[in-house]
Amino acid sequence: MKIFSNKNFVAWYFVFPVAFIHLFVIGIPSLASLALCLTDWRGLGEINYIGFENFIELFDDRYLKKAIINNVIWTIAFLTVPVGIALTCAYLLTGIKRGQMFFRLAFFFPYMLASVINCQIWKYLFHPIHGLGGFFERIGWDLLAVSPFTMKSTSLFAVAFVDGWHFWGFLVVIYLTGMYQVDNHLYEAADIEGATKFQKFRYITLPMIRPVFVFSIMIIIIWSVPVFDYVYILTGGGPAYSSEVIANYMYSQAFERFDVGYSSAIGTLMFFYVMIIVALFGLFRKAGWDI
Amino acid sequence: MIRTLISFVSVIILSTSFSALAKTKVTWSMESNADRDPIMIEKLQNAYNNSQGNYELVIEFEDNETRLTSMRTAMIGGMGPDIVETPGPSYVKEYHAAGMLENLDSYAAEFGWKDKMIPWAYSSGVFEGSLYAIPKTHESMVMLYNKTLFEENNWKVPTTLEELEDVAGKIKAKGMNVFSYGSDGWQPTHEHLVGIYLNNYAGPQAVYEAIIGEREWTDPVFVEALELLKKHMVDEGYWSGSLENYYAIGWDDFHAQFANRGAAMMTIGTWTFQATQLGIGASDDEWGWAPLPSLSSQSPDPNFMIAIGTTMSVNANGKNKDGAIDVLNWIMSNKDKVLDIAKDFEFGEMVVPLTLSSSDIPTDIAPQVQDYLSEYARITGEGNYGYCTWTFWPADPGVHIWKDMEVVWAGDISVEDFLYDHQKMWDKARKNGDTLPVPLRN
Repeated sequence: MKIFSNKNFVAWYFVFPVAFIHLFVIGIPSLASLALCLTDWRGLGEINYIGFENFIELFDDRYLKKAIINNVIWTIAFLTVPVGIALTCAYLLTGIKRGQMFFRLAFFFPYMLASVINCQIWKYLFHPIHGLGGFFERIGWDLLAVSPFTMKSTSLFAVAFVDGWHFWGFLVVIYLTGMYQVDNHLYEAADIEGATKFQKFRYITLPMIRPVFVFSIMIIIIWSVPVFDYVYILTGGGPAYSSEVIANYMYSQAFERFDVGYSSAIGTLMFFYVMIIVALFGLFRKAGWDI
Repeated sequence: MIRTLISFVSVIILSTSFSALAKTKVTWSMESNADRDPIMIEKLQNAYNNSQGNYELVIEFEDNETRLTSMRTAMIGGMGPDIVETPGPSYVKEYHAAGMLENLDSYAAEFGWKDKMIPWAYSSGVFEGSLYAIPKTHESMVMLYNKTLFEENNWKVPTTLEELEDVAGKIKAKGMNVFSYGSDGWQPTHEHLVGIYLNNYAGPQAVYEAIIGEREWTDPVFVEALELLKKHMVDEGYWSGSLENYYAIGWDDFHAQFANRGAAMMTIGTWTFQATQLGIGASDDEWGWAPLPSLSSQSPDPNFMIAIGTTMSVNANGKNKDGAIDVLNWIMSNKDKVLDIAKDFEFGEMVVPLTLSSSDIPTDIAPQVQDYLSEYARITGEGNYGYCTWTFWPADPGVHIWKDMEVVWAGDISVEDFLYDHQKMWDKARKNGDTLPVPLRN
């Protein structure tokens, strides 16, 4: 019994309630989902074990392949555009002494809005009748006549743009926080050496905010796997699966086709993918990376 | 005086409370709709509750998507509402297969439900020989047109493919869209169009044969039907001007487009009658309706596609099965009350498929709707009816027909490949016993 009054054990008392809730809300459903991927369950009624049939079907599913490719494109897009813009803006903001708070708030504002509201704003802006297209048509310009959400060639990028617009302000804030931690003496020394603004960014700021930067890269890669809400609201994965992503496809299998077993198999695939990413970052940390 | 008043109020409160306590509650989970809910409360819930002293009907309204998920979860857990409302037979099939619905055979026999209903509608709720669901609403697809506009331009309402393509050319020449319609907010809208082309090009008989497995979906007649739809949708932009605009336009927009002469016609289900009456019906233009045109010699006669919009069943694990049966029987036995509700929606909702005579049709509804109800009864009564996908297609092929149609329209796969996949899904559904009841064809 002494162990329970041990000083080292006290922390567990605080962790236990959260761990208990996690066990019921995440742990058990996740294990159930792992088990369901080997069945033909349709969400109701009998559950029949079918071995790896769902996984065999997975590898032959052209729309899942399309969704995986779209997720990869999505990840690359998010690793480049919002990161690039956020880094630049955060760095430029460090040089602004007056009115900085206004810009920080303005950039962060879309992140505070619910995804449904963000989506409705952009959907309305790109609407062929009520949006910018309709406005331009009325003044005689043939511009934005067709919504980019409804064109096969642009739908994925249009959705990624809206999600990126909402997300990049968050990156600005975390990069800015990292930049304020950098010792000012380093910049003063660089000034004496005659370093340019870019050189200071390249050789001081970027290496010094590396933990924050790598963290942002990690969360972008992980968050890009279950991306769902923006796709679901703006395009539903269409037209013609052009903006389909894995999570939306999984949802469709479970709640439109009632193929819960197959949907669980997709979920299992996503789970292992995320585990691999987390493991990779763990290995980098073990190898001495400062993350 | 004050003491008397307090005693009087107390007696009223107590008597009301006791009468409410004496009644056992019957719950009904119903799709929420801001316009419809007050009418359902007044003319269904309150009317039923006032009609008897045993049960208290409580309708719980919820957004349909959330409702279906939460009801499903509750029913898996052995709970859920007493009256189970679903969006169609494919859902009933799932619940029935899981043993979650009450067999209604004995009640149907006791109360004579079969004789009160349109035969095909009754059989849509029969699974493995027993009744498990009663349609709450039956519906069809029609073609609406701007009658004033057609008269001004001396256009003929099309009844054949040639006439349709001819008038479409004239409408486009005037700078208008041929049809007002779009899928924004409801992707399954595509299946309305697919159903029209399958039934009105290949013909209801061919569709029936494919449903019962006597004809393959890869049959050239279905390929031609969907090629024609692709031509009209993608090449001609019949619906809202282009495929992209069709994807971008939703319910309010396409009604507005039809009302303000942005389009001359609209292909839509009869659930729209109320919205049409409130839209173009409130403008200076008069609207008309017609059966969808025949698109080939294989489907020469006008037909109406038959469909079930929503169904009512009794939860096998419900707390008050007797009460649920009593509510269903009240609906089946009070034609005048049901018609009074349907009247408020211009027969777009709560159109319980009870057998009606011409004298039953209310006279205080839009004349177009009166006319439609008579024609629908006459034409379907002659056996000229087709099949809507959301009533007769099993879940998997049912989703395929609308979800993957976009891939065909995008040119990513051919119509032949699409129908090859479709046939495979039907084969699988047939093998698993997932096919849905279909009325025998004469």
